[in-house]
Amino acid sequence: MKNKKMICIVLGIMCFALTLGICVQVRTVRGTNSTISQNYEENNLRAEVLKYKERYENKYEELEKAEQELEKERQNSTQNNEDLESKEQQIQQGNKVIGLAEVTGPGVIVTLSDSKSDASSALNASDLIVHDADVLSVINELKNAGAEAISINNQRLVPTSSIVCGGNIIEINGEKVGAPFEIKAIGLPEQLAALSRPGGYLEILKNATVGVELKKSNNITIPRYTGVISYEYAKSVD
Amino acid sequence: MKKLNIKKGKITMTITIGIACFVLVLVMFMQFKIVNETDITSIENMRETELRTELANWKSKYDEVNAQYEETQSKIEEYKQTKESNEETEKLVDEELETVNMNLGKTDVEGEGIEIILKETDNEEISQINADDLLVIVNALKLAGAEAISINDERIINMSDIVNINANTDDLFVRINGQRILAPYVIKAIGNQTYLESELLGNGGYVDQLRTIGHDVSIEKKDNIKILKYNDEITTKYIQ
Repeated sequence: MKNKKMICIVLGIMCFALTLGICVQVRTVRGTNSTISQNYEENNLRAEVLKYKERYENKYEELEKAEQELEKERQNSTQNNEDLESKEQQIQQGNKVIGLAEVTGPGVIVTLSDSKSDASSALNASDLIVHDADVLSVINELKNAGAEAISINNQRLVPTSSIVCGGNIIEINGEKVGAPFEIKAIGLPEQLAALSRPGGYLEILKNATVGVELKKSNNITIPRYTGVISYEYAKSVD
Repeated sequence: MKKLNIKKGKITMTITIGIACFVLVLVMFMQFKIVNETDITSIENMRETELRTELANWKSKYDEVNAQYEETQSKIEEYKQTKESNEETEKLVDEELETVNMNLGKTDVEGEGIEIILKETDNEEISQINADDLLVIVNALKLAGAEAISINDERIINMSDIVNINANTDDLFVRINGQRILAPYVIKAIGNQTYLESELLGNGGYVDQLRTIGHDVSIEKKDNIKILKYNDEITTKYIQ
């Protein structure tokens, strides 16, 4: 008898808890739904954006495959001619420099993160955040130290790349990336690491209490640019 | 007999409860997974105008990639067709190399764009234009879609740096691509004239800011600007 009572009570409590959980879930779902479906137009737009994003991604995959095929064809066509073979190599090397091919090599990884200290205790809360100008300066110093390829949160920097602040995120190559910023650079590690020298920009950032970390590595992979470089206004005149 | 019955009932009950619990936990995990997978933060919170720019952005990106894809396909076809002839293959390879060299900044380019001239200031209360200012302007021009940029005929390529030498002294000068650059700084950029100009002059534009503190900066739209190629050899030692 006692056992039965116990079971009943346990069951009762479980049922109650479960019902409560389900109610909460249903409520949150309904809550989000109500804000989302406020505007029919917006929903349509959202679907459209997702559709184009997917189409872009699919096309991009096809493009990558086509480019690999092109490279194979080019190699096939040029392998019997020394002169052409050297031009083929120039094309490959050139694409690596521009950012249209993945590259690996030794270098450094610099990580910049927003300060963990309390914003209310600082005189100027803005000092605790990584800004686009900070990233721009670090990139410029890396280039000065001889970096041959650079990426920020895996966004490869190409000749047309810009870095802009958009609220609490930064836009690179038109893609939004948020802190922490992981900057990869390939070059002579010892020279690139000079970035953390006294008076260097990383030191200045550290004094501004932004999180700064620099790691040397012998094997860094930097992905290719996920866009297209094309010209609408400029014409080659050589 | 009765004792056995109770025991049997207990066992069935335990099993039933166990199964029920298992199913519930399963459902819960599924729910969590679904909630995790839906990327609520980025797209669901956007407003209409934001969505419209986002849509236009993805559309143009798609068009670009599509055009590039078709070009690549046609190149593959051409290579296949010219397999037998060395001469035609050479023409194709040369064409591709030409594009690569243009991307690298190893060819002179021409087109419409703007020319910005920053003069040395006589005002001793404000600091002279230095590398930091030029860096910001170059970044703004790239944002506005500049296809080629040079400062005092030093072409800005992917590996170009713009730095102050002898910072905090009177001998400060600017170095670009390892070359010493002196004022007045003439920045040339090829691209859409309106975009380029409004990026610098618009609300909070950098040239506006410089003018406000007293610098002499001029911007001129030009229909035909020639930007010289990068003059040095582009060498790499570490990327593979």
